[in-house]
Amino acid sequence: MKRVLLYTMAAFLVLASCSKKDDPVFDESPDVRLNKVLAEYQAALAGAPNGWNAELRTANGSLYHFHFGFNDANRVQMYADFDTLTASVRKESSFRLKALQQPALLFDTYSYVHILADPDATVNGGEFGLGLSSDFEFSLDTLAADSIKLTGRFNGSKMILRKASAQDLQAWQNGQWKNALLFESISALILNYFKRLNVGGKAYEISLNAARREITFTWRDGGGIPRQHTTTYSFSGNNVQLDTPLTDGGTTISTLSNLSWNAGTSSFQVNVNGTQAASIAGAIAPMIPDLNAPTRWWQYMADREYFWTSFFGFHVNGVDDAFKIRSIPGLYALVFVPRFGSEQGVIYDLAAFTSVSGSNLNLLFGAAFRPPVFTTDGRVIFRYFGTLGDVPPEHEEKYINTASLLNSTSGFYLVQTSETSYDMVSATDAKAWITWLR
Amino acid sequence: MHMKAYHIIFSLLLLTLAACKSEDALENPDNIPGLGGDTWPPGPIDVWINDSLTTPLNVAVKYKWDQGELELNKTLVPPREEKVIPVLSTIKQVWIKNYDLVAGEYFMRKYCPKFFVLVGSASWNPDGTVILGTAEGGRRIVLYDLNGFRTKNMPGYVPEDSATVKEMFHTIEHEFGHILHQNVMYPLEYKRISVGRYTSNWNNVSDEDARRDGFITAYAMSAPDEDFVEMIATMLVEGKQGINHILDNITGNGPNGTTPEQARAILRQKEAMVVKYFADTWKIDFYNLQTRTRASVEALIR
Repeated sequence: MKRVLLYTMAAFLVLASCSKKDDPVFDESPDVRLNKVLAEYQAALAGAPNGWNAELRTANGSLYHFHFGFNDANRVQMYADFDTLTASVRKESSFRLKALQQPALLFDTYSYVHILADPDATVNGGEFGLGLSSDFEFSLDTLAADSIKLTGRFNGSKMILRKASAQDLQAWQNGQWKNALLFESISALILNYFKRLNVGGKAYEISLNAARREITFTWRDGGGIPRQHTTTYSFSGNNVQLDTPLTDGGTTISTLSNLSWNAGTSSFQVNVNGTQAASIAGAIAPMIPDLNAPTRWWQYMADREYFWTSFFGFHVNGVDDAFKIRSIPGLYALVFVPRFGSEQGVIYDLAAFTSVSGSNLNLLFGAAFRPPVFTTDGRVIFRYFGTLGDVPPEHEEKYINTASLLNSTSGFYLVQTSETSYDMVSATDAKAWITWLR
Repeated sequence: MHMKAYHIIFSLLLLTLAACKSEDALENPDNIPGLGGDTWPPGPIDVWINDSLTTPLNVAVKYKWDQGELELNKTLVPPREEKVIPVLSTIKQVWIKNYDLVAGEYFMRKYCPKFFVLVGSASWNPDGTVILGTAEGGRRIVLYDLNGFRTKNMPGYVPEDSATVKEMFHTIEHEFGHILHQNVMYPLEYKRISVGRYTSNWNNVSDEDARRDGFITAYAMSAPDEDFVEMIATMLVEGKQGINHILDNITGNGPNGTTPEQARAILRQKEAMVVKYFADTWKIDFYNLQTRTRASVEALIR
């Protein structure tokens, strides 16, 4: 009995163990299928006679446009709506299709795509070590007849490629995109801190954050009540497109187009909503001054016995660090210390040039000011009191320029730009300003 | 009887094993995508690298993006194509050629790291410092910040760019110094010179303060090995005069209470040990190498 059982079991074992069915879910091996997919993508990419229009939305949510022309030799030519240069000069670089965990498209030498992802913030205005949270290595998600969807492999930005028409390519080649990109040169061409869009007899103050592609409008509505509208924007052909249009009573602003710079009047001509003529020009004062900002700024550090920090000193007439304070060896920053000390019964503020050793801030030299005057129209006026420390002769000019600008009799407006930062703008002509950080 | 049963079972088992031999034909390995590395139609850069580095020195250079070669958590970008050949040819000129001249042509063929990876941007650390180069196992060197590299012959050169150029060669000489001492260790007495003053807090110390304590740079304070190769790199890139200038400018006591005289003596002692190490271990006249290297660097920036 026992033996029968044994034989039966052995027989079962034989039968069961001989099931040789492999039954693959797919009828071809992974490598064959992968090669096929990569070949399909390559054929599609190189097979578009007018190239591809691309929309790239970074992980930050900003939208950028590209035009790609891929070939069969791992080369790609492109335009991008990053700035007027990338929108007008076609650049060639390398790409490849690679089987990573998914089929992937890599832009593998530096191109306009990399500008957004560059960790050097001086390239793109993003953050050091991060850039604008974009990608240049994309997994290929889906391939349709005339579109390809991709996802960035590092930051997860999204890109869609659509087959371009001959007109799409021409829009880049004949400078339409470049023209729209002129919009981001507003800050470089208009030297005043404050800028206004004048349309239909009404003025809107605008401030632009080009790195985030964000614009803020400030104005008074029909009843004189201050209004503000902040929206992201993107470019499309000749248009600057506001993602959320501005509405002010019966007025709506959704696009700006046909920009041109008039050097004679230092202003831009522009069309609002396609047809309505308008202009963008500088202004020497804010439309709606933040009346309490100067006291708020000063008192904040006075209360904490601490200081405001500026790493680059004054921006004057379009030049960053106009007085070249960064060229002072060992300089950490220019700092402003309310109520630094007292002399002859005067409790003075100090604008100090400082260096750092370990965790200590050292005073190199500084300009002392009597207690500031806060005007009712929202300005602060500093009055020179004296010099603290010895100014080396080779840095005298930088010091004197900084101190005498601070001493200007018309004083400064303060604009709070974030919870921790203020811009202090010269009330003389709004062409000089300094950024204070907490 | 029992015996026979086992025989039967045994042969059945054999049958089972044989029956289960299921042989799938191996696929042609040539069809595996990416096996053996990526390939592309060679362009001018690939030809230049092959002719100038791979054929004479057996050195490979990867300039196209490959995340697998780099830190996975860092935001980095590949180099601009127009920077690759200028950077590599200056590397040949400043570094390889001078070692060839001083140490004989076989020295570099043997010890030259065999694999370079080029990156366009610097590598930012969370604490705000940047990495400009790394070396591994005497074989692989990663060079960062190629896109910031500009010599006096390139358009748009400003004097401030000389810092990036010097930094690049400082990095290379630094990493090559590691390769040398990983092959033959430097004398242990070197580690005793500044014992107790090495710190992981070096990034909060300025070069000026580090020098006042007898370290040639702040990074030299991080560990004895770094101290040794920072000496090599600084001496080669700054030249003899540059070193004298650095030493002359030490004024005031260091954070550890070292007097300027002591600091200078420490640095001179370190210098002497580096020179002796090169002479004893590698039969290289260090001052000769220093003069040549500094002259090549100056040709790029002055």
